[in-house]
Amino acid sequence: MKRAYLELKQLTKAFGKGADMVVAVDAIDLEVQEGDLVTLLGPSGCGKTTTLRMIAGFHTPTSGDVMIDGVSVNEIPPNKRPTAMVFQNYALFPHMTVFENIAYGLRIRRESDEQVKEKVARIMNLIGLEGLADRQPRQLSGGQQQRVSLARAMVMEPKVLLFDEPLSNLDAKLRVSTRLEIRKLQQRLGITSVYVTHDQEEAMTLSDRVVIMDRGKIQQVGSPVEIYSHPVNRFVAGFMGKANFLEATVKALEETEIVLEYCTKTIQAPRWDKRIKEGDEVTVVVRPESVFLEESQEDLIEGTVVNSVYFGSQMLYEIEMPDGKVLQAEIADPQDHPQFAKGHTVGLSFKSRSLHVLAKE
Amino acid sequence: MKQQSKSRVQQINEIKKLIREPFLFISILVIFYLLIVFVLFPIFQVFKTSFMIDGQLSLKNYRDVLRQSYYIRPLFNSILLGLIVATIGTFVGFVFAYAITRTPMRGKGIFRLIATFPMVSPPFVVALACILLFGRSGIFAGAIGNIYGLTGLTVVETIAYAPTAFLALIGVLQAIDPSLEEAAMDCGASRGKVFSTIIFPLALPGIVSAWLLVFIQSLADFGTPMILSGNYQVLSVQAYLQITGMFDLARGSTLAILLLVPTVIAFYLQKYLLSKKSYVTVTGKPTSATIKNLEWYIKYPIYAMCFLFALIVLLFYGMVVWGSFQKLWGVDSTLTLRNYVQMWKIGKKYIKDSLLLSLIVTPITGILGMFIAYLISRKQFIGRNLMEFSSMLTFAVPGTVVGIGYILAFNNPSFLMPVTLTGTSIIIITLLIFRNLPVGIRNGVAAIEQIDPSIEEASIDLGADSGTTFRKITLPMITPAFFSGLANCFVRSMTAISAIIFVVSGRWNFITVAVLGFVDNSQYAQAAAMSLLLIAIVVLALGLIQLITNRLGKGMQSFSIIE
Ligand SMILES: Nc1ncnc2c1ncn2[C@@H]1O[C@H](COP(=O)(O)OP(=O)(O)O)[C@@H](O)[C@H]1O
Ligand SMILES: [Mg+2]
Repeated sequence: MKRAYLELKQLTKAFGKGADMVVAVDAIDLEVQEGDLVTLLGPSGCGKTTTLRMIAGFHTPTSGDVMIDGVSVNEIPPNKRPTAMVFQNYALFPHMTVFENIAYGLRIRRESDEQVKEKVARIMNLIGLEGLADRQPRQLSGGQQQRVSLARAMVMEPKVLLFDEPLSNLDAKLRVSTRLEIRKLQQRLGITSVYVTHDQEEAMTLSDRVVIMDRGKIQQVGSPVEIYSHPVNRFVAGFMGKANFLEATVKALEETEIVLEYCTKTIQAPRWDKRIKEGDEVTVVVRPESVFLEESQEDLIEGTVVNSVYFGSQMLYEIEMPDGKVLQAEIADPQDHPQFAKGHTVGLSFKSRSLHVLAKE
Repeated sequence: MKQQSKSRVQQINEIKKLIREPFLFISILVIFYLLIVFVLFPIFQVFKTSFMIDGQLSLKNYRDVLRQSYYIRPLFNSILLGLIVATIGTFVGFVFAYAITRTPMRGKGIFRLIATFPMVSPPFVVALACILLFGRSGIFAGAIGNIYGLTGLTVVETIAYAPTAFLALIGVLQAIDPSLEEAAMDCGASRGKVFSTIIFPLALPGIVSAWLLVFIQSLADFGTPMILSGNYQVLSVQAYLQITGMFDLARGSTLAILLLVPTVIAFYLQKYLLSKKSYVTVTGKPTSATIKNLEWYIKYPIYAMCFLFALIVLLFYGMVVWGSFQKLWGVDSTLTLRNYVQMWKIGKKYIKDSLLLSLIVTPITGILGMFIAYLISRKQFIGRNLMEFSSMLTFAVPGTVVGIGYILAFNNPSFLMPVTLTGTSIIIITLLIFRNLPVGIRNGVAAIEQIDPSIEEASIDLGADSGTTFRKITLPMITPAFFSGLANCFVRSMTAISAIIFVVSGRWNFITVAVLGFVDNSQYAQAAAMSLLLIAIVVLALGLIQLITNRLGKGMQSFSIIE
């Protein structure tokens, strides 16, 4: 049975005083289960790094608690905390070899020479750093430096492993392969981890759970699927994947369905939010991949193609809707579908199951 | 209200954290004690003495000084001299810096060496050379009129302090991205336009700051006017004479404060300017293309000026060498080693004392400077700003003021310093340490700020405490800067005069004081011999330290030995 291993309770951090005060993290609550990898996802400046640094102990919370394994660690200085961090710029010690870098923390802990050697060798094997022990950090590629930094944190067998955008300095290809490796390692060793990123794709592929943050507050916590299919607000919907927002009115409520009127036409969507009532103005989240296009017909919503971009595996259309808004549609396998030129009037329909209705904010 | 209590909680947390690191906590307390006793207390004493008459607070000293032209004169003279020297010195420095960074001049290394050489010798060596050249029995006697006064002071101080401007401006010009100039030329701007619309505006804060640096140095200079001022009285010398000649501590202190005020203003202006110049972009070196196609009518005048200045520097120092071998200056030009023998006989003790004291002072200053640099750039603690301010203070305060402060503060026991220090080696050692500390700190801060803080955080994250992190991570990375700080400190100790002259005694004396003594007795040849010995020691030490760092820092970034 999993249990809450890392807990943040009403955690708050304010920088500066008086008029210059910035509340970087605003009373957030979070529970991370043992062995899980949780990502903090949000736009730049939303307080992810600050949160992570409070967990590591580099920032003292203005108020609130950080609990690890049921014990508050607020009073414990960073060097005594059972956390280890992988830094964005790796922060390798430039005057030490790879081996010395990885062994550093173990040596501080005064582990015996044999033990240090054994542990470092094991982790270097695991992470794929064989044969690099005597290199200087500057003789390594970016990817290798990243691994050393990961090894240096993991070898400490921390209770909580922290990552601050560890892949942002790597090129796109390396980023994808490295994040898969991080995930595999983390699962294999079962280390509870908190991972900061602003890249939603990274968050989706890595995490057991995703925490969406904005302006110092948590917007939503959930599995990647939950968040993608049932975002709680427009911010989350827009941040996690692409989204179109349609303004509609609720015409009727059924047990599991909600009937909406949009531009004089009727659409149906699953019913989630039980607070929504008949007659309410609502926002419908439409993912671009849930839009179907065909020649316009009597009972379909009509739109005009204003732009189309061909990506090979998919076709992206921009369509002006009757209400003047522009909607994005992604058509997979464009070869199997009719193609529409700019200016063409098309008929739209939606994959009902993947629509998501939000109450007006 | 709520906010305030929050920040108080944070403060308490900070204190708690600090107490949990006892080494750090105790060091901070000790450093504060030292700074209070050896930096703030002496300066406070100068203020106090200048504002006190018979134990009563009074402005009488200032009224007296400002009313009598005899005293107000030196204030104007000092400032006028400072203005002239700063302007000419900055101009010379700029031409040199421009030549080094923006022209294809050949022999840049040698020009650079010559132009910075006056920095490793005490300024009064140039004054001595000036006497040997243009003095009553000089080779070009009378060629520039009476050298005892504004003319002589201007010539000598310009040679002595243009290097300061030069070094500051090299940094400024190097930081201006040459692609900006290329872009401007691309847009059709001529060389002149590029200079007036791009280089000059971008360099202006740096130029003003270099000007202020030279102004401060000229104002604070003691050795040169001591030798050359003649009837042109300046503050630093007058303050000294009031105290050592007239035993008038109050008046001496008052003059010292008058000297302090413009210097401190200039210093903070300069700091402010430097903190604002952030829009200068630091990128690569000038590409050869911009440099190579420089028009002749721009190149040659610049070369000529550099050549002339280098020639003058060589002439001055050459004269000291030549003079040191003359049997009797201006009378008997037989070559002899007698001056060296005599100088050694009289000066042995001075040389030994200065060497010993400087060797004690240098490592202490180096370590303390680095440690304070580390504290103020990496640690959060209450009083951090005060620590930074007070440890950098002696940088802005003229040596004369510090010297007077030390006499006033340590002549008698006080609750801060329960024993009398006057006459001991301790007073010289502490004076040198705290006078040179700012250089070490500035070096250290620059080096530490280049280290990404996350590297130290990584160490702490892995379980090391602050002390271990400093020892194992920060220290090795700042070692080059540390040694360059040592070099600096040693040079500054050996060539110190303005403050030292107040605290030397029969028991402990200083080589620079001996040179001044020779000059005072018109024993120019011995003075020259001793100056050369002093320069030789300094150059030797610099070479040695350079050697060590080259060994040490095979892979590490190199550094230049002079700031
Ligand atoms: N040391 C600091 N002092 C003042 N403000 C800070 C400091 N660190 C972060 N902030 C501010 O706090 C907010 C959140 O920053 P951060 O946690 O770094 O965001 P993120 O990592 O999500 O991009 C930002 O507005 C930032 O400017
Ligand atoms: Mg961040």
